[in-house]
Formats: sequence, C-alpha cells, structure tokens
Amino acid sequence: MKFAIALHSPAHAPSSRRALLFAKAVLAQGHEIVRLFFYQDGVHSASGNVVSPQDESDTAAQWRDFVSTHKLDGVVCIAAALRRGVLNAEEAERYSRPAANLSAPWELSGLGQLHEAVQTADRLICFGGP
Amino acid sequence: MATLHVLSNSPFTDSRLSSCLRVLGSEDAILLCGDATYALRADTAAAQSLNAKTGSLKVFVLDEDATARHIALPDWAQSVDYAGFVTLSVHYDKVNTWL
Repeated sequence: MKFAIALHSPAHAPSSRRALLFAKAVLAQGHEIVRLFFYQDGVHSASGNVVSPQDESDTAAQWRDFVSTHKLDGVVCIAAALRRGVLNAEEAERYSRPAANLSAPWELSGLGQLHEAVQTADRLICFGGP
Repeated sequence: MATLHVLSNSPFTDSRLSSCLRVLGSEDAILLCGDATYALRADTAAAQSLNAKTGSLKVFVLDEDATARHIALPDWAQSVDYAGFVTLSVHYDKVNTWL
C-alpha cells in the first residue's frame, strides 16, 4: 500500500517522533512511502542548524538519516520554510539572506506536492500538535 | 467509509474528543496517542463518554504513550504498537488526525 505522510510539528514535538516511528513501521511492513511532506512548523525538522540537548534524542537528525537511508522524497513546504528562516542556498541568494540551512536530502517545493502525493497514495496520514 | 480518528491532545484542555465523538460514523474507530491517552483515566468524564460508546465504537490506544503516563487500560480499550498503528491505517479507509 502507498502512504503519504504529512508532518505539521517541529522535531522537538512528541508528534514528530511519533511520525518517524510510524514511517519506520510502514516500511518495515513492506509498504511504500510516496512522499513525506513537511508543513507549517514541521519545516524546522529539515533545518541543518537544529541542535538538540545532549540528553535528548535528536529527532531532526533521525529524520535526515531516515530520508537519506531509504532515499525517500522529503519535501519541505517552501512558503512555510521561508517564513520560518529555513532556506536552501538558492533561496538565501534570492532573498539576500546571510546563510542557508537546508540541504540534501530535503527539497523545497510547493503545497501542490502534498496534493499530488494525496492523489498518488492510498492513505494520507497527518501528524501534528503535541 | 470507515475512518480511523487519531487524537493526541488531552481531553482536559480542548473539545477535540467531544467533537470527534459527535461526528463519528457507525464503523469508525478512535486511536488515542500522546496526551489524548489521558481520556482513559478512570472516573473521568472523558472515559465515561468513551465507555458509553464502546458498544459500537472500537477504541485503540498507542501502547507506549499510555505506558509512559502510567494509565491503566480499561477492558474496552485495545493497545497497539506502531506496527499495529500501521495495520489500523491500512484496515480503515481513511485516517483523520485531529490536528
């Protein structure tokens, strides 16, 4: 079965960890994840500048590893990302900002990518809130 | 179309659970995770409102979230792990998260 997963919360929210464990269980059961869409505060998970306290798990890094390892389509909503200061090199240059904090495996794109994922997938599962 | 309703907010801070119970379809089920698992605390209005529906409604709870909060599960709630969560999302036609 094909899954699309949308994440609305940042890496420090319990729901982000829940989404990650769910996504791992999806693959463990032989299903496919057609796209992970990071929306609203979920875009913070894709920032390369997140530093977790040493005694807490680094969920942002775990997301990056998960997306890289399984070569998944990790899409970050561009409008949500720009307003939260999550920029790739191209956007940093376009808006004359001093630094970029988003790189591979993440990709900035529009809300249309969520819509397309929903059309492609059999299930859309959203995570957010606490 | 049978829907799995996923809640993660505490029933003591907002009205998501009561709204959800009001719009539930006859074949729908609820999965409680995060602070929403507090709805299973005995002798609370939230637990009573769930219990009143358990004749037709299936109530699932994410095991680790209930365990982390030391919540004793009533016999009408069934605990699932993440593999069980995936199985539920395959079984039901839609998954609606109360964000």
